[in-house]
Amino acid sequence: MAGISIEKLCKTFGSVTAVRDLDLEIAETEFVSLLGPSGCGKTTTLRMLAGLDFPTSGTIRIGGRLVNDLPPGKRDIAMVFQSYALYPHMTVAENIAYPLRKRGVPRRERDVKVMEVARLLRLEELVERKPRHLSGGQQQRVALGRALVREPQVFLLDEPLSNLDAKLRAHMRAELIELHRRIGKTMVYVTHDQLEAMTMSDRIAILHGGLLQQFGTPADVYERPANVFVADFIGTPSMSLFEGTLHRGAGCLEARIGSLVIALPEDHVAWAGTSNTLAIRLGVRPEDIFLGDTGEPAVVKLVEPTGHENIVLLTVHGLVMTARLGADVRLRAGEAVRVGFRTPKIHIFDRDAGTRLNGDGPSRVTAFPGRQSIGQR
Amino acid sequence: MRRREGKSIVATAAAWLVVLTTIFPLIWMAITSIKPQAELFRIPPAFLPESVTFEHFEELLENTPFLTYFGHSLVIATSTTVLVVVLGVLGAYSLVRFSYPGRERLAILVLFTYLLPSVVLVLPLYLLMVKVGLANTLMSLVVAYTTFSLPYALWLLRAFMAGTPEDLEWAALVDGASRLGAFVDIVLPQMLPGIISTAVFTFIVGWNEYFYALVLVNSDSARPLTTGVMNMLITSFNIEWSLLMAASVMMSLPLIVIFVFLQSYLTRGFAASGIKG
Repeated sequence: MAGISIEKLCKTFGSVTAVRDLDLEIAETEFVSLLGPSGCGKTTTLRMLAGLDFPTSGTIRIGGRLVNDLPPGKRDIAMVFQSYALYPHMTVAENIAYPLRKRGVPRRERDVKVMEVARLLRLEELVERKPRHLSGGQQQRVALGRALVREPQVFLLDEPLSNLDAKLRAHMRAELIELHRRIGKTMVYVTHDQLEAMTMSDRIAILHGGLLQQFGTPADVYERPANVFVADFIGTPSMSLFEGTLHRGAGCLEARIGSLVIALPEDHVAWAGTSNTLAIRLGVRPEDIFLGDTGEPAVVKLVEPTGHENIVLLTVHGLVMTARLGADVRLRAGEAVRVGFRTPKIHIFDRDAGTRLNGDGPSRVTAFPGRQSIGQR
Repeated sequence: MRRREGKSIVATAAAWLVVLTTIFPLIWMAITSIKPQAELFRIPPAFLPESVTFEHFEELLENTPFLTYFGHSLVIATSTTVLVVVLGVLGAYSLVRFSYPGRERLAILVLFTYLLPSVVLVLPLYLLMVKVGLANTLMSLVVAYTTFSLPYALWLLRAFMAGTPEDLEWAALVDGASRLGAFVDIVLPQMLPGIISTAVFTFIVGWNEYFYALVLVNSDSARPLTTGVMNMLITSFNIEWSLLMAASVMMSLPLIVIFVFLQSYLTRGFAASGIKG
């Protein structure tokens, strides 16, 4: 078993920088997701880990061993591709056996291992079939089987669920979590789907424009986003963000966005400068807005019932914000209501730099919380 | 319903008409080859022979250099095919998988050579062969046929290569294969239909070609079937029709056998080159 240590990793393609100064310490047995919009550098990072692309600068260590110049086959990694990349002319069994064959494992031993993996992934009935005769979910399992069979130190998964329909994806997500728990190997998982990242990972590395934005536990990135990008990217519906100013008064803080004024406790923001005013961006998650008898006057713009909740678009002091309200709340568009904010949960970012200013500390990188987190996921 | 049936009957009849017109000379050739000499020029001609004889075939095999020519043609067509397939597969891999300046232009230039009429190239090629000492050898024809089979092969194989996902090769690399190993284990099997259709097309070119063979080779030591048979059976004074037909039947056999066995690959090759190429 082995962790991964990435230092100052850069990758440029011509004039385009895909990955910039990336530092990541992935612990042994950890499940880490690389999350970000397309073009953020997550797949390039994974391909460099696999040895399919070579870093422009920086180092990659797997299990303490520098692998920068090692070909993919010598890195003791396995990879599952978005397209599954099953060899079309080989049967399921031959596909799974291929990595063993390339390592000179004798035939008898190969057959035993292939059947073991096939049993683990419930593929026993299908071993003689060709990939084109399998469903998407079955192909996905074969791809996993081919990765599992030679027991590598590290698993790299490149959006492995993105070709599946929603129901199957949820099912495979659960299977992957279970699989990770059972084999306890380091896994690096690339996805643009935050739900996958949030539900499966020990920690999530959020990338944007080739730069690491935040590396922390799912709770961390959700509750304490390191900057505006993370705040906006994580969460569905996303956080409502507004430009405003923060004023320091006697014993309290006041956030002003147009005519809306929100009072905050003094320690809400770690105040660095001497000025009593700060240009900020203020963020409110949909679930941190609630209806009340008192509070700010608001008008309902749109109600989207999802069945178990209502996503409500509200206009408060001319600002449009999204609230997540219970399914039992009956509202109609145009209705006047009053809303309050859970002030401890209000996010404050520097307006220009976009960095988090809340007093709970900017936590751009947090440590791997350890294996017990599996139960909490 | 009736109208649709009527339409399909007309279409079928039309198709059969075309097939019969096309195939008639071949049938006539086969029939003539087994007619005794005396029946050949009878007027009015009879479609079916009164008596069947294989004497022309015997004559051809025993008393003429037919088998030598056959051997030459076999060597030329096979060597050309092997050379073209090997170069074509490697070239297609390079054109699709590696990036270097002028890659697309190179591919188009290759096709451009294919567009030149072969008459234009024959004299320069002949002079070249004389210079390098290949004139009047089997090798000269192998080289010549390669020059006009390779461009087409490259384009056909390039289409197949482009249709092979790169992920497959990467997966093989991660699974522990070398670049060459991934090529042999994964890429080649994916390209098999393309390779087979390329091979068949090239073999047919090498087997049937007449013009270059006529210009580049004028000794019996290297003459292929096409020019050999003409040389042997057609003189200014006489044409040995019965022997010619027997020779034609035997010349057609290898191609017919190949077509029958590899038909499905060929249609896939046509489809791929049409859609992607």
